[in-house]
Amino acid sequence: MTKKGTGLKIAISAVLCLFILILAIRQGSVYISLKDLFGIIGGHLTGKGTPEGIEPMMDSIFWTIRMPRAIMAFLVGGALSMSGACMQALLQNPLASSYTLGVSSGASLGAALVLILEISIPVLSGFMLPFAGFVFGLATVVIALMLTSAIDKSVSNTTVVLIGMVLSLFVNGMMNLLSTLNADHSKQLILWMMGSFSARGWKHCAILFPVCVLGFICLMIMSRKMDIMSFGDLQAQAMGVDAKKTKILAILICALLTGVSVAFTGVIGFIDLAAPHVVRKIFGPTHKMVIPMSFIYGGAFMALCDLISRTLLSPREIPVGAVTALLGAPFFAYVFFASRRKRA
Amino acid sequence: MKIEVKNMSAFYGKTEILQGINLEIKQGEKVFIGGSNGSGKTTLLRVLAGIIPHKGEVLVDGRDISSMKRKDAAKLIALMPQTSDIYFPYTVYETVLLGTYASAGNSFMSNNANAVIHAENCMKECGVFDLKERHLDELSGGQLQRVLLARTFAQKSPFLFLDEPGNNLDIKYRAELCDRLNKWSAGKTGEVDNTLVAVFHDLEQAKRCCARAVMMKGGEIVFDGNIKDAMTREMLMKVYDFDVASYVET
Repeated sequence: MTKKGTGLKIAISAVLCLFILILAIRQGSVYISLKDLFGIIGGHLTGKGTPEGIEPMMDSIFWTIRMPRAIMAFLVGGALSMSGACMQALLQNPLASSYTLGVSSGASLGAALVLILEISIPVLSGFMLPFAGFVFGLATVVIALMLTSAIDKSVSNTTVVLIGMVLSLFVNGMMNLLSTLNADHSKQLILWMMGSFSARGWKHCAILFPVCVLGFICLMIMSRKMDIMSFGDLQAQAMGVDAKKTKILAILICALLTGVSVAFTGVIGFIDLAAPHVVRKIFGPTHKMVIPMSFIYGGAFMALCDLISRTLLSPREIPVGAVTALLGAPFFAYVFFASRRKRA
Repeated sequence: MKIEVKNMSAFYGKTEILQGINLEIKQGEKVFIGGSNGSGKTTLLRVLAGIIPHKGEVLVDGRDISSMKRKDAAKLIALMPQTSDIYFPYTVYETVLLGTYASAGNSFMSNNANAVIHAENCMKECGVFDLKERHLDELSGGQLQRVLLARTFAQKSPFLFLDEPGNNLDIKYRAELCDRLNKWSAGKTGEVDNTLVAVFHDLEQAKRCCARAVMMKGGEIVFDGNIKDAMTREMLMKVYDFDVASYVET
């Protein structure tokens, strides 16, 4: 791919992403003109408050509800996609995802315990559920890595994936048992697990944003190592990359990105699997492109899915996880198999 | 600079693959590792490159290979494995450039200009420069083998370990590979004489590229000396349990 061709693709992607983000903010039961939207954003960013001619209620809807929700969806989609891209390269497995090591099942168990036992820590106030989800999600990954290291000193990919699967199934079993024994909380738990961006505000974005920036920087610094790891552990070692150390460090970064995302929004699948593959088809497999473009594509796709989830059957809201899978699966199949057919 | 191996053994799980290996490879040598399938040739190369764990001592320039940082070890020893897994379709150019990882000091966003020139030269020398924009999954087995060889040369290490580099190559490219290896072996990397350690199944190729033979059987070294002495009917019979001389001209 020529530099000019890549530049053009990046520019088109950026414009498309911005368009989707603006669409996700504007569309809904209440509509706003672009001028008023930028007026509201400008007013808040400059500290001047709501511009003249715009009702305070409109300001409230767009600044405190729609914008943080769309940005949150974008950040979660981006974080999940970046970590999906990284896991696929590290484990040399195109079907690996950010959930491979059991982050989602761990987080779900944490959420289930909080809901069922009605645990509350005053300092965390509204953040108890995400906090428990994050801690349990990360703990599951750490346990998976410790078990893997104990069983297989070289931390081979097959062991990592198998331990992740076994642990996920075990933790899922525990959670199912808990929710069966406490049927009163089942509905609440199922809704959490299906994922939603409802009622996500700036305070949530303020936590996820620095995590995304940190994860992005770390993964970009490791991008060349990820390229080399894509050829397998043996070749990576031969070429000067400490495969075991790189794998553990990158998995922990991915667990952080996924854990915080899942903790705030529940389990939203598919995007982390599909977005990196779509990006590789468009931009090639080098990770200095795959990581940032996965963030942009994953983020835009999640924002679009959230828009559909809240508007399609309005006022009812469809779980965003269902939308990502229903919309994403055929699109992913088209992109993946159409280009394969062309190449054949 | 030399590689010293003292009473080394290596395992896959609990199975002992190599036992009681003692070996010294001095800089500038051209060593053929021979033996039948499963005799431990590949494991020996990997242990010498510090990629798989071992018992006993493997010293490179007096330093224990397993205690060296991977990047430092890769600056000294480049290993080309006999098989390569392709999971994502990198281009030939991207793949060969990755070979410069240990030596070039590239930043994560851009490549060192000298590394790019070196990688391009390696592609030209291995006859894959014209394929540079092609994806790895679009190459034939022989083309892929030459790309991986170019990537190994791109590593710029004075010790070159090749595991069956002639795999999938047609007769023309096998001959060219020999010429290329002989030219490389006669040179230096920095101040260090280049050293070739290669596993071949083609004995003719081994004779053309190497001066010393280390013959293995059942995880042990059964011969270490001049390659001409290894190519006798009796020695080959002993190593391969087969009358090689009745099959090929030795």
